[in-house]
Amino acid sequence: MIFVNKNTKVLVQGATGKMGAAHTKRMIAYGTQVVGGVTPGKGGTLVPDTKIKVYDTVKEAKDATGATCSVLFVPPYLALDAGVEAIEAGISLLVVITEGIPPQDTAKLVSYARLKGIRMIGPNCPGVITPGETLLGILPGMIFKPGPVGMVSRSGTLTYEIALALTDADQGQSTCVGIGGDPVKGMEYPEVLTAFNNDNDTEVIVLIGEIGGNAEEEAAQFVKQNVNKPVVAYIAGQTAPPGKRMGHAGAIISGGKGTAESKMQAMREAGIEVALTPSEVAEKVKKLRTQLVKK
Amino acid sequence: MQMVTSHIESDGAETNMNLYEWEAKRIFADWGISVPQSIRITREEELSKVNFDFPLTIKCQVLSGGRGKAGGIQFAKDLKEAQSLVGKLMAMTIGGSKTESLLIEPKVAIKHEMYLSVTMDRARGCPVYIAAKEGGIEIESNKSIITEPIPYPFQPYVARNLAKKMGLSGALLNKVASIAERLYKLFDQLDLDLAEINPLVITQSDEVIALDGKIIVNDDALGRQKMFDGWQEKHMADLPERERKAKKQGLNLVELDGNIGIICNGAGLTMATMDMVKNFGGNPGNFLDAGGGSDQEKTLAAIELVNENPNVKVILLNILGGITACDEVAHALVEFMKKNPKRSMVVRLRGNNQDKAEKMLADSGLKLFPDLENAVKEAVSKSKVAV
Repeated sequence: MIFVNKNTKVLVQGATGKMGAAHTKRMIAYGTQVVGGVTPGKGGTLVPDTKIKVYDTVKEAKDATGATCSVLFVPPYLALDAGVEAIEAGISLLVVITEGIPPQDTAKLVSYARLKGIRMIGPNCPGVITPGETLLGILPGMIFKPGPVGMVSRSGTLTYEIALALTDADQGQSTCVGIGGDPVKGMEYPEVLTAFNNDNDTEVIVLIGEIGGNAEEEAAQFVKQNVNKPVVAYIAGQTAPPGKRMGHAGAIISGGKGTAESKMQAMREAGIEVALTPSEVAEKVKKLRTQLVKK
Repeated sequence: MQMVTSHIESDGAETNMNLYEWEAKRIFADWGISVPQSIRITREEELSKVNFDFPLTIKCQVLSGGRGKAGGIQFAKDLKEAQSLVGKLMAMTIGGSKTESLLIEPKVAIKHEMYLSVTMDRARGCPVYIAAKEGGIEIESNKSIITEPIPYPFQPYVARNLAKKMGLSGALLNKVASIAERLYKLFDQLDLDLAEINPLVITQSDEVIALDGKIIVNDDALGRQKMFDGWQEKHMADLPERERKAKKQGLNLVELDGNIGIICNGAGLTMATMDMVKNFGGNPGNFLDAGGGSDQEKTLAAIELVNENPNVKVILLNILGGITACDEVAHALVEFMKKNPKRSMVVRLRGNNQDKAEKMLADSGLKLFPDLENAVKEAVSKSKVAV
């Protein structure tokens, strides 16, 4: 497992908002050690329907609880402020769930996190789950199960679809990281791939990508040079028309670049197994694991 | 080189808010970047307002690229010639975009053309300058392109480094650096995806001015950029009607030419569903992402929107309930089927409250497919049945 486990102490920024409160409850139900919420002006209260204390500032919450991670559910125009506040308070992993943050703000937050050497997942992401241990974000815990498959993805519900196919085929997961669908983001594929490659619990890596940009091509190159575990990839958007943004801000084929075809080609050239449907991902993973056992 | 961004190529189909040249130039002027004198007209009689010398440049105001090649920029040596051009140019539609007005400027005596823009570099995760000392229309194929990442916090030396890299010196280096500095500041302060000057020209009198401009405003920032309040409607004019309607309802719709209407929650899953439809021999009629946490109302709006497309023979609804509760979706479906009992529909629902949803839908005659592949195959076979 990578980045998070059952001992990870978690703060939720924006825990008293509708979405923040609902998912704080879900995270607690999954077993996540949520140790505090942060909402300015609501310090001293509790997160609705929980026993989790709310603090006015991240500094105060961190000092009181010893939290190392913060999950952000704050509104988009407050995310830069909230993220920098968390970094300054000494949080070492930021998970930004918020969707719709203006790219200028994201770029500033990303640059600040890099400067300070802080891990940042997102924005506009489902979060990260280590099945059976902890869940940070909005992933539906019930479709995951513990096992040796490391997952990394730019998508949300598509990740769930593939996790479901893996779980149905009895291929549990070590950790699943949703890096988010925005063009500018904190964590890119290579950081996650490196962590999985070094992780003893991970045997096979599943990489889920989509059209737009060239992150998948770069990831393929990275796998070729740095990853010695088998990788199975799935790329969404094989039938997407050029010049149209497909839901995610980052999912657009532009000037003939960023097509699924080019990504799948790069993956195959790097020795990655490319699946054409979610269930084929599970089949390929199963086959690869059988081969590993034989070795 | 990692400078490729989604917007610099003129696909003419960006979904973020694209401004007209005259609007971009007005913003440039507000931020201290020199632009030519101009007036903007829609009728021939307004030519009387021209208070600068002939010859004139007359430019169609459209939101698409390729305007020059399409004949949307003309020159007039006198009033008579200008009069003969106005009606013709106003009637033009270029790349699907109707001419909104005409921008009239004195024809500038050009000594040299350059290119300058600021955009977001997704690979580097920061804004970037893109420039070329030798400008021109085809910037994508220009070999002298220079990129300069812009670190945060910004300092003007970055703009000077850029001007230096462009091979400029003396007064010209300072002039271009000053324009680049202003261009970054407006890019940052107005939350733009792109601020582009093409060409940035040196005139015969050694002034440096923005002869053409393109600005794309990021949609996610419209809520905090008060100056653009109410602009979005006007700038969506070139979108197909149903896509415009979807945008207003917070749904993401892209129409395609097939006959299977696709509705899912989440962009990646919607694309994956489209791909599977194609792989199993069907043709997607649209992409519709109803969003991760769609409720009953939003789901119903999504189904109705796809139902309005006359080419759609069968609707494939694929909801994997993470945040989305299946019973909310089922409510929307029951309501829709009451009004449209004959609509051919394939429903895949899986996740939270799936049992509840199944019970509700059994009465309305809809069969549920928990497995995605089976649902897709069913939709494809229904799309091939003759009506």
